[in-house]
Amino acid sequence: MVEEVKSGISQLLRERRPVEEPYGEKGYHLSVDMAPKDLIDVGRFFKEKGFYLACALCVDFRDYLELVYFFAHHEGHCRVKVTSRLDPQAPYAPSLSSVFGSALWYEREIHEFFGVRFEGHPNMAYLFLHGGIDFYPLRKEKVMVSEEDRALLNSFRPEEGEDTFFINLGPQHPSTHGVLRVVLKMDGEYIERAEPVMGYLHRMHEKMAENRTYLQFLPNTGRMDYLGAMAFNLGYVTAVERLCGIKAPPRAQYVRVIATELNRISSHLLWLGAYLADLGAMTPFLYVFDDREQILDILEGITGSRLTYCYFRFGGLFNDVDEDFITGVRRFIARMRGRFQIYDDLVTKNVIFINRTRNVGVITRETARQYGVSGPVLRGAGIAMDMRKKEPYAAYGEFDFSIPTGSYGDAHDIYLVRFKEMEESLNIIEQALNGLPEGPIMAEKVPKKLKPPKGDLYHVVETPRGELGIYIVSDESDIPYRMKWRVPSFANLMVFPELVRGCLLADAIAILGSLDLVIPEIDR
Amino acid sequence: MGKEILPVRFAVLDKVLNLARANSLWPMTFGLACCAIEMMATAMSRFDLDRFGAAVYRATPRQADLMIVTGTVTKKIAPVFTTLYDQMPSPKWVIAMGNCAISGGPFAFEGQYSIIEGVDLLVPVDVYVPGCPPRPEALLEGFLKLEEKITKTRRFPGPEKRW
Repeated sequence: MVEEVKSGISQLLRERRPVEEPYGEKGYHLSVDMAPKDLIDVGRFFKEKGFYLACALCVDFRDYLELVYFFAHHEGHCRVKVTSRLDPQAPYAPSLSSVFGSALWYEREIHEFFGVRFEGHPNMAYLFLHGGIDFYPLRKEKVMVSEEDRALLNSFRPEEGEDTFFINLGPQHPSTHGVLRVVLKMDGEYIERAEPVMGYLHRMHEKMAENRTYLQFLPNTGRMDYLGAMAFNLGYVTAVERLCGIKAPPRAQYVRVIATELNRISSHLLWLGAYLADLGAMTPFLYVFDDREQILDILEGITGSRLTYCYFRFGGLFNDVDEDFITGVRRFIARMRGRFQIYDDLVTKNVIFINRTRNVGVITRETARQYGVSGPVLRGAGIAMDMRKKEPYAAYGEFDFSIPTGSYGDAHDIYLVRFKEMEESLNIIEQALNGLPEGPIMAEKVPKKLKPPKGDLYHVVETPRGELGIYIVSDESDIPYRMKWRVPSFANLMVFPELVRGCLLADAIAILGSLDLVIPEIDR
Repeated sequence: MGKEILPVRFAVLDKVLNLARANSLWPMTFGLACCAIEMMATAMSRFDLDRFGAAVYRATPRQADLMIVTGTVTKKIAPVFTTLYDQMPSPKWVIAMGNCAISGGPFAFEGQYSIIEGVDLLVPVDVYVPGCPPRPEALLEGFLKLEEKITKTRRFPGPEKRW
């Protein structure tokens, strides 16, 4: 696949050649630099080959701005980094939004943080920031917001028309799970258009990363996605380890897998309760919290916290697990296997639940590819992509587990996928417990102050919500030069306006819930 | 009826009303960030906030008399936040849960442009519950403190003094 892409791009761009990169160190197979005008042609090429736009970002190198696009493939193992240099005085680039739907929001994000203007973009209104911010936050030098951009600051302003009716879903709404706001243009009971407005919890983690050392940023990861804090922790720790060439000992890797999978179950459980509460069922909420507390007890014993864990360290773990932990986990596995039957009887076979979720929010494979959807939502659409299997990190390569997929892609399929994923997680934990090796939990000679070599890295892990990509640019100092978080919920929310077009307002709640959004992760 | 009796009567009535208010706090569902999950955990199976009559979460501010601020208040949500507070009928109380709501927490750093460092800059706060996030027990203690503030007496004896 890599060869095919390489020759294809070489033919497309006569003067520029793609460069093969060491995948183990960089996290991508090919990189190609090009003039901004070629971006659309290259985008079309990737689209034809069945790639999706995993991430788009910008890096300010002071002399120039670098646009970075990551294209990846669902089935084949190939990730390509496409870069293009822009003039920092007048940064203009063509918009990829006509080719990839996911470019729509990534470009808006780049525009508000760097001031890059995309020609041909249908709606450049600000996504995250509010009025009163007069500079581009992620530029290294203070650049004032231009007059034309200032007009875009007040995000979405629905156009008035005859017989149009607008509903504000959020920011304070029990089913948006936080502070997401969706402006809905209604036609009676049916939705004509939906426009999410974000940034109500924008705390600028990416800017914080440029202000502190690699270790100091570690607690932030747990606060980005508080439900899957372990997975975010693990992603960040493995990314920095990969950047610095540190290898954690096997015992640490196994414990990492156990802790992350326990956290995945607790995240899915909370989703299950909250989703059903959205649909009107209160009882499962009480059941799932009962199970969830068992997991929190176990994790609290080793990490010391209930929610925003900070357990992994570069090169290993914060502390070792003991016998109590192992017996506790075994007891939990036995208990949880019995509970699945209860949930099955209570929820899966419930007629009201089936009627609320069947044929609602159907995601086709084409839509999923178009918007770069990932995680259980993608697997519900029938594409078996799981980063634990595709690009194994920690010790995931050593375990035998399957990837549950749906066939139809509606909310019910996504529910079933998440449900089966919990069972798979139990299998992984059991295997890891049985094969838990003895030995140290920290790598030797990890320096107190990490100074990774110059370069960049795109590291991908699977969080409970999907593909998390961490892009780190290092300039040999102990502070990251640029850190970009490609968060799963952001990409999953992009598909929402597409899904709700023409459906009932009540179904919009069922669709929004099935995406399992965590708002601080979207807003960062 | 002499004028001098009225204040006594009202004081007694107030006492009764306050007792009722303190034992049936209706919080508003307004989850902001991580602390909201701990707030939910407090209301659920194990910690069972219903014991204190305070787990009737209302989705609308007009039916609530307690606002639990569970997370970072950004400048973008500040107008929404104050509107919600204004919509709540008096008497009303505010619990600032977690470090973000108290002082900006870990997100107050040089160059930060987005957050409000402490929710008491916007609305009056009655009880502060520190932690990142606070444990459910801490929030329960916050509820008891609020009840103490309303009724001037403590329902349960406090934790034993060990030092």
